Amino acid sequence: MLQSDLATVLPELILAIYAMGALMFGVSSGKDQTTGTLTWATAGMFVALALWIGFGNAGDRSAFGGMFTDDNFARFAKITILLSAAAVLLISQDYMARRDLARFEYPVLVSLSVIGMMMMVSAGDLMALYMGLELQSLALYVVAALRRDSARSTEAGLKYFVLGALSSGLLLYGASLTYGYAGTTLFSGILSTVNEEVPLGLLFGLVFMLAGLAFKVSAAPFHMWTPDVYEGSPTPVTAFFATAPKVAAMALIARLAYDAFGGIPDDWSQVLSALAVLSMFWGALAAIGQRDIKRLMAYSSIAHMGFALVGLAAGTAEGVQAMLIYMAIYVAMNVGTFAFILSMERDGKPVTDIASLNMYSRTDPMKALAMLVLLFSLAGVPPMLGFFGKFYVFRAAVDADMAWLALAGAVASVIGAYYYLRVVFYMYFGTEGDRLDSRMAPAQWLALVAVAAAMLLGIINLFGIESAAALAAESLVR
Amino acid sequence: MVGLEHYLSVAAALFVIGIFGIFLNRKNVIVILMSIELILLAVNINLVAFSSFSGDLVGQVFTMFVLTVAAAEAAIGLAILVVFFRTRGTIDVEDVNVMKG
Amino acid sequence: MTVADVAFYCFSTVTVAAGLMMTVSRNPVHSVLWLILAFLSSAGLFVLLGAEFVAMLLIIVYVGAVAVLFLFVVMMLDIDFAELKGEMAKYMPLALLVGVVILIQIGLGIGAWVEADGKMGLRAAVAPDAAQVENTRALGLLIYDKYIYLFQASGLILLVAMIGAIVLTLRHRSGLKRQDILQQMYRDPAKAMELVDVKPGQGL
Repeated sequence: MLQSDLATVLPELILAIYAMGALMFGVSSGKDQTTGTLTWATAGMFVALALWIGFGNAGDRSAFGGMFTDDNFARFAKITILLSAAAVLLISQDYMARRDLARFEYPVLVSLSVIGMMMMVSAGDLMALYMGLELQSLALYVVAALRRDSARSTEAGLKYFVLGALSSGLLLYGASLTYGYAGTTLFSGILSTVNEEVPLGLLFGLVFMLAGLAFKVSAAPFHMWTPDVYEGSPTPVTAFFATAPKVAAMALIARLAYDAFGGIPDDWSQVLSALAVLSMFWGALAAIGQRDIKRLMAYSSIAHMGFALVGLAAGTAEGVQAMLIYMAIYVAMNVGTFAFILSMERDGKPVTDIASLNMYSRTDPMKALAMLVLLFSLAGVPPMLGFFGKFYVFRAAVDADMAWLALAGAVASVIGAYYYLRVVFYMYFGTEGDRLDSRMAPAQWLALVAVAAAMLLGIINLFGIESAAALAAESLVR
Repeated sequence: MVGLEHYLSVAAALFVIGIFGIFLNRKNVIVILMSIELILLAVNINLVAFSSFSGDLVGQVFTMFVLTVAAAEAAIGLAILVVFFRTRGTIDVEDVNVMKG
Repeated sequence: MTVADVAFYCFSTVTVAAGLMMTVSRNPVHSVLWLILAFLSSAGLFVLLGAEFVAMLLIIVYVGAVAVLFLFVVMMLDIDFAELKGEMAKYMPLALLVGVVILIQIGLGIGAWVEADGKMGLRAAVAPDAAQVENTRALGLLIYDKYIYLFQASGLILLVAMIGAIVLTLRHRSGLKRQDILQQMYRDPAKAMELVDVKPGQGL
C-alpha cells in the first residue's frame, strides 16, 4: 500500500530530498559561492522532473486514500510549473549574482515552494490543499523580503505576508464549514454530498474558499497586494511570482471547483465570472497611468488572471482546456518579458522606468523587435499566440451561453491594449533620452528571443499544447 | 443543552473580531498578526466542534496541522517584521511612502 | 444547566471578551496577554469537547511558543505605540460596519445549520470509544499512518520556516570574536606558550 503511494508521489519526494540535500550542500560548503552551481542544478532538476512527468505516461491514479491525485490535469499543471520555474531561475541568475543577491537559500526556497505547488495541483483533500498552499506561500513570503536591507523589499514581504496570511485564514474558515457540512475533507466525499439544494452554510464555505484563493491568483477585488509586491520585490522574485504560483493557484481553483463542488457549477460559476469581469477591467484601467514597468506587469497579470477565470467560469471541459492553454501562453510571455526587464539597466544600475525605453529600437533593434512581439502578444493582437489564448477562453464562454462574459473580455482587452502599445510607442517613436546599457546575459537573451519566436511560430500548431490541455481537461471534468 | 450551534457561534464571533481587529489596527502590524491568529483560533474551534459532534477525528487532525502551520507562519511573519523594522524604524505599513498603492 | 454547560458559557464569554480586548487594547503587551487569555479559555472549550490532546497542544504551542514570540518581538522592537494607536478612532466606524455585516451574514449561515444526509457514512476516521482508546493515542494512530503524507508536508513547512527566519534575520557581523570549540580542543599546550629565561640586565 505505502509502496504504491510513494511511487505516485515520487517526483515530489525526489524534489524534497533534493531540496534538503542542496541545503546541506550549501551550508557545509562555501556558502554563497555555490549559489550559481545550485541554481543551475535546481533548474536542471526541474527540467528533468518535467520531462519525467511528461513522458512517464502513468495514467490516472491516486495515493494516500485519495488525498493525492495524479491525473492528466495535475501533470499538465506540474509540467508548466516546473518548466517556468526553471526558466525564471536561469534568467535571473545573472541579475542575482551582480546585485549581491546570490544567496544559496534562494534556489532551495524556490524548490520547496515548487513542491508546495505540485502538492496543490494534485490535492484531493482539503487538508492536502491547505498544506500545499502554505508550503508554497511561506517560501514566497521569505523570497519577497530577500533583499533584507532594502525598505521596499521588506515592505513588499510584509504586505504580501499580512494579506496572504489573511487569505489563508479565510480559506481555512471556508474549509472548516465545508468539512462540517460534508463530514469529510476528501474532495470525492464532498462531491457526493453536494447536490442542487445548497444550504447557506455550505455556500459560505465555498465563497470563503474562493475568496482565499482569489487572493493567491490576485484576482480583483483581492488584488491590492499585487502592484506593491511586484514593484518592491527584487525583480527575479517578481518574475517568479508572475509565473509558477499563478498557474498553481489557478489549477487549484479548477480542482476545487470540479473535484469537490462539481455538483453545483452554477454557484461557483457566478462567483468566478464576477471575479473575472472585475479583474479584466481593473487590470486594464489601473495600468494606464503606470510609469514603472514592474507595476505595469502587476496590473497586466491581474487582467490576465481575469481572462483565465473566464475559461473556468464557463464551467465546461472546453473552458478548462482554454484556461490551461491560456495559462501556458501567459507563463511563456511573462518569462520572455521578464527576461527583458531583468536586463534593463543604465550605468550598471537596474532601472524599471518605462520612459527609459525611449528610442530603444535605435540602440538595439533586435531586442526591441522581440519585445514588440511579446507586447503585442500580451495585448492579444491577432497574429501572435496571445490572441489565441484569448480566443480559446472567449469561445469557451460563448459555447457555454455566457456571451456577455466574452463581450466584456473583448472590451477589456481593447482597453488593455492601450498600455502595452504605449510601451511600444516609447520604444519606437519616443524622444531621445539617456540610453539603456545594451548588456544582456546569454540566458536572458535566449529566453527573450526564443519566447518571441514561439509567439509567432506557435500559431501553426500551438506546439501540441492544445491536445495535451484537452486530455487534461477531460480528466478533470467528468 | 449546549449544542453544535453554540460552538459555531463562538467561532463566528472570534472570526469577526479577527477581521474587525485587522480593520481597526491598520497601522499596527503586530496587532494585525495577532488578529490573524484569532481567525485561526476560530477555525480551530469550528473544526474541533464539528469533529466532536460528528464523532470523527479528522477535524482534530486538521486542527493539529493548522496549529503547526500557524506556528511556522508566526515565525516567518515576525522575522519579516523584524527586518522591516530594522530598515525603516517603524512598523507602520500605511506610513510608508516609498510605494504608493 | 449542568456543570458542563456553565463551564461552556464561562469559557466562551472569556474567549470572546479577551479577543475583543486584544483588538482594542492600547498597549500591545496587553494585547498579547489578552491573546494568551483567549487561547487558554478556548483550550478549556476543547477539553469540554473531548479533544484533550489538541487542548494541551494549544497551550504548549500557542501560549508557550507563538504568544511568547509575539511578546518577545513587541519588547525587542522599540516602537512608539501611542502614535500608532492615535488613529484608531478614525478606522472605528468602518471596522464596526465590516464586522457587523460579516457577523450577520455568518449568523444567517450557521443559524440554519444543516448537514449533508450521508455525512455519518463519509467519516474518514470514526472516533473510537474514549474508554478504550484515549484521544491522544487515537490521534497518534491517525497522523503517523493514514495522514503520513500531511505529516511529512508539515515537516517541510517547518523547514521553510526555519530557513526563512535564518535567511531574514541572521547577520554575520565582522569584528566579533566567536568561540571556536574545535580550535580550542586542538590547541597544543606545548606550542601555546614559550618559557623564556630572562637573564638579569639583558632583556629579550
